[in-house]
Amino acid sequence: MTVDATHPAADDLRRALIATNPKLSKFNPLPRILAFDEFDTGTHGWCELIGNHDGHGNLDTVDVHMRDFRPPQLSSCDFFDIGTHAAMSGNYALKVATRPVTGHTAVAIRRLTMARRGVVQFETYFTYKSEAATAESSLGNSFGDIEWDGNLHPSEAQFGAFTVATDLCDGEGVRYHCVARYQNTDLDHNLTRRWMYPVVPEPTPRENLHNQENLSPTEDFTAPNPEDWRPLGEEPQFLCYNEVPTKVNWHYLRWQFDTRTRTNIELQVNDRIMDMRQVPVPAYPDKYDGLENLLNFYVSVRTHSPVRNFLFLDSALISVDW
Amino acid sequence: MRHALTAVLERNTTFTADFVTEPYEAGWAAEARWFVRTLALEGDAPSLRLTAQISPDGLHWCDDDGSTEQIATEPGMVSMRVREFGHWLRLRATLTGGDPKAKVLVYLALKS
Repeated sequence: MTVDATHPAADDLRRALIATNPKLSKFNPLPRILAFDEFDTGTHGWCELIGNHDGHGNLDTVDVHMRDFRPPQLSSCDFFDIGTHAAMSGNYALKVATRPVTGHTAVAIRRLTMARRGVVQFETYFTYKSEAATAESSLGNSFGDIEWDGNLHPSEAQFGAFTVATDLCDGEGVRYHCVARYQNTDLDHNLTRRWMYPVVPEPTPRENLHNQENLSPTEDFTAPNPEDWRPLGEEPQFLCYNEVPTKVNWHYLRWQFDTRTRTNIELQVNDRIMDMRQVPVPAYPDKYDGLENLLNFYVSVRTHSPVRNFLFLDSALISVDW
Repeated sequence: MRHALTAVLERNTTFTADFVTEPYEAGWAAEARWFVRTLALEGDAPSLRLTAQISPDGLHWCDDDGSTEQIATEPGMVSMRVREFGHWLRLRATLTGGDPKAKVLVYLALKS
């Protein structure tokens, strides 16, 4: 199973066909498209992540920090001020929504396997918002670093972080995660607006087998200790939150990693391309059975404030070079 | 083919007071059905009254005028249908009795 993308004429034709396809021309896929998810037509396998349960089907045995990642929604991006905003491609976007609880994380996952090792690319058009306030829920005109001035809105400082990540396992049972996170604010609500990566692997149910309450329900499940996160470059990246919580502007994200070398390659977010080749990707020290060629993608959103945080995906495209 | 989606809004959660589920946006769906599986219901003559709520914005809510409240007085499954709702759904639960405690799973089954 190979795609002849090395022959110049074949590659030119492939690119021309993508460029003339209104649905695909906004992406830059590798030679083989594994999945093209326009959420106007359904969830396409993006579902709630949950920790593992025991052989009795007893959900009380799920680790408490992986028990409440919330079901994704097909959202028409409805808001109290204008009604339906809608998505970039059609009416609906995939919405991942936290509870209004400081530290709560919502996670949607998509599960595939690898037919071969190689370069994998995840692309998406996304936006991120905090929930609009009501008279009852409002935290006022000042929050974190932001004072309402008719332009900047405290809602922006109420958004914590969103993450694009993977769960990968080789045929040899070597399991690891490539991860990239946009941290909008730190835990004290200061605007940091930086990309980050963890230097430890995610805690797994096997580690907590005899202690489901090892981690709290609001733990940062990707890497619980804030000290285990490192900035990807020193410069912040300013994204287009667009002032109030009811305006959505779609951003382009393209992320590549290589399952031959178990390393990241690069992350592009709009006009910035970040080299991730030197980012460490820690593998679990012991081997995993039953996860042969695991190729999972997840997106998550974590609120650092008592306000619901939302990550919206208009569409996603997963492509490979094999 | 019609679209169908099931969301689990609460999972083995124990409540000792009235509660509402998280807002769920489903403008694409023409019909919805709540399933509430009560795993345990304890206290002095406890009951769990379930009311469907609807909203145009996910922020402000009213009871659904077209569905029928359900009351659970013992462990088991109850269900409630909702049609012609606005784009947002949630469930309002009222716990009554002496020191009531309810452990529930809440499913929302949607269809276009």
